[in-house]
Amino acid sequence: MAIGTHSHDHEHDHAHDHADSGDLRLWLKTAILIGLGLYFVALIVSGGLTNYINNRFSWLSYLAAALFLITGIASAWHLLTAHRRHDHADHDHANHGHEGHTHGTISWGVLAITAVPLVLGTLVPSRPLGAEAVSGGVNVSAAEGAQVQTLSVPPLERNVLDWLRAFNREPDVTAFDGQEVEVVGFIYREPTFDADKFMIARFTVSCCVADANAIGLPVHWADTAALPQGEWVRVRGSLQTGDFRGERLPIVQAQAVEVVAQPDHPYLYP
Amino acid sequence: MDREARAELTRLLLIIGGLLAAIIGLFLLLNSGDPGTLIAIFSTRFLGIFIEAVPFLLLGTLVSGLIEAFLTADDIARIVPRNPVAATLVGTFMGFTFPVCECGVVPVVRRLYTKGLPVSVGVTFLLAAPVINPIVLASTATAFGFGGILIGRFVITAIVAFSVGLVFALAARPREVLRASSLNALAPVMGGSGDAPVTIGGAIALPTMTAAPRKSLVGGLREAITLAGDEFFEMGRYLIIGSLLAAAMQTVISQDLLLTLGRDPVISVVSMQALAFLLSVCSTVDSFLALAFAGTFTTGSLLAFLTFGPMVDIKSMLMFLGVFRQRVVVYLILLPLLMTLLIGIWINLNLSL
Repeated sequence: MAIGTHSHDHEHDHAHDHADSGDLRLWLKTAILIGLGLYFVALIVSGGLTNYINNRFSWLSYLAAALFLITGIASAWHLLTAHRRHDHADHDHANHGHEGHTHGTISWGVLAITAVPLVLGTLVPSRPLGAEAVSGGVNVSAAEGAQVQTLSVPPLERNVLDWLRAFNREPDVTAFDGQEVEVVGFIYREPTFDADKFMIARFTVSCCVADANAIGLPVHWADTAALPQGEWVRVRGSLQTGDFRGERLPIVQAQAVEVVAQPDHPYLYP
Repeated sequence: MDREARAELTRLLLIIGGLLAAIIGLFLLLNSGDPGTLIAIFSTRFLGIFIEAVPFLLLGTLVSGLIEAFLTADDIARIVPRNPVAATLVGTFMGFTFPVCECGVVPVVRRLYTKGLPVSVGVTFLLAAPVINPIVLASTATAFGFGGILIGRFVITAIVAFSVGLVFALAARPREVLRASSLNALAPVMGGSGDAPVTIGGAIALPTMTAAPRKSLVGGLREAITLAGDEFFEMGRYLIIGSLLAAAMQTVISQDLLLTLGRDPVISVVSMQALAFLLSVCSTVDSFLALAFAGTFTTGSLLAFLTFGPMVDIKSMLMFLGVFRQRVVVYLILLPLLMTLLIGIWINLNLSL
């Protein structure tokens, strides 16, 4: 299960013992490095990266793409030139002159484990966390971030996170009554919700989906039963204090609920 | 030792992998939800952790490759003071000059010992360097931002590493601590041909160190990139298995159960220490795994995970056995274990970070 860095191994008499399977594995290793590099490039180009991490850290993926491709190409070049040297050596019947030749061996197990991200990344269709991924309910409060200028965001441009933060700061729960709201999010319902209530929810992601946290605004909408769980919608309406899950909260009284495409950035970045 | 350790490691990896498969299988059987959806969620969570963490792993392996290509043990030995306390202090912060994770630190320490590095300095460096270095500082800040976790992680690691180092400085003599091979068997390699591949604990190959003239810039860079590629596979598997487990736990285990474990001031710390030990994830990326538990587990337990894990885990324990005598390895495991346990519990009971 281990990779050793065996310098000058080829000068010994077992140089060709493992040639076939060993070479195959070294080529697979190279393919995994280049494959991971291309996977990162594809994520960046397609925008799929936003399904996984906070956009603020996308530069790290540029770095990863570059480093994978550099190590992969170096490894390929190494194998190619090593072969040429082998051929010469065989031809001359002189197994010398592998100066500075460093050769990492690798086991099938390590190759299999390292291929897992590539396999999952290419075979499982990429999609962001949605309503099915909510565990433990959708929060109706949001933690304050380090750099919050929520109150400078005009009310009609506020997203779910901005609104929850605005609520946090205001001790009087009725202070927002009558304010216009227009937010985008996915439909989230639980069996315990009233028949005319749903939540318009978003996941917040500070770093990557490991810290994803579902937040949402309760919405009053008579035709809620017709809305499929997880669908992305834009809700227009106004706020009115009401009871939701046993709490007094500002609730969106919807005037319009329209189905929209999933946004380019499915997560909100606190 | 080599083969045994390797077989042992393989067995442990298989157990962890099997456990993972069992958890997922069981859940798929018991859960009425759509398996396709479940796999998609699991895959998104896993890839999220992997994508965010892997750049730091690559940077770590690259730095480690550069050190091996361009630095000689003499360079390192030159900066260590003679006074044991001052030297131990230097050992604590040496990671800033030699940013290596726990994967890279053991071969470096062993190489330094053959050059006459004081035992206590090596021990301190061994325990501190995986955390107290710029790359881990950056990745922890990326995951948690600047705050209690970041500061706590560095302060606790410094305290534990310095204390354990002092114990060794006051109480131990090299011949009682180090395996014979770390004292002199390497000498011919160090000074001589520099050809023999040396493996420690069957897991990490010690790159050849020669007293030969410095490598050319291009040659050294090429070597560093090759070493980085190798080390990516060496260390990447721990990251991948760790990410799979963390993603599975988030997807599969109910929030209620996690909260029950994670809210208890003592059990949470012990659980996270066990997890850190089993996962053996590189210190450059373990913050992203800890992040997965940040909502459910106590701050003290997260800090125990982030401080104990980099000092001791399955793979570093195996590597320790290649450098130190067995009795000493027991101390090297127990002292950090108990100290981080107590600090973690103390934080849970007394601080709200």
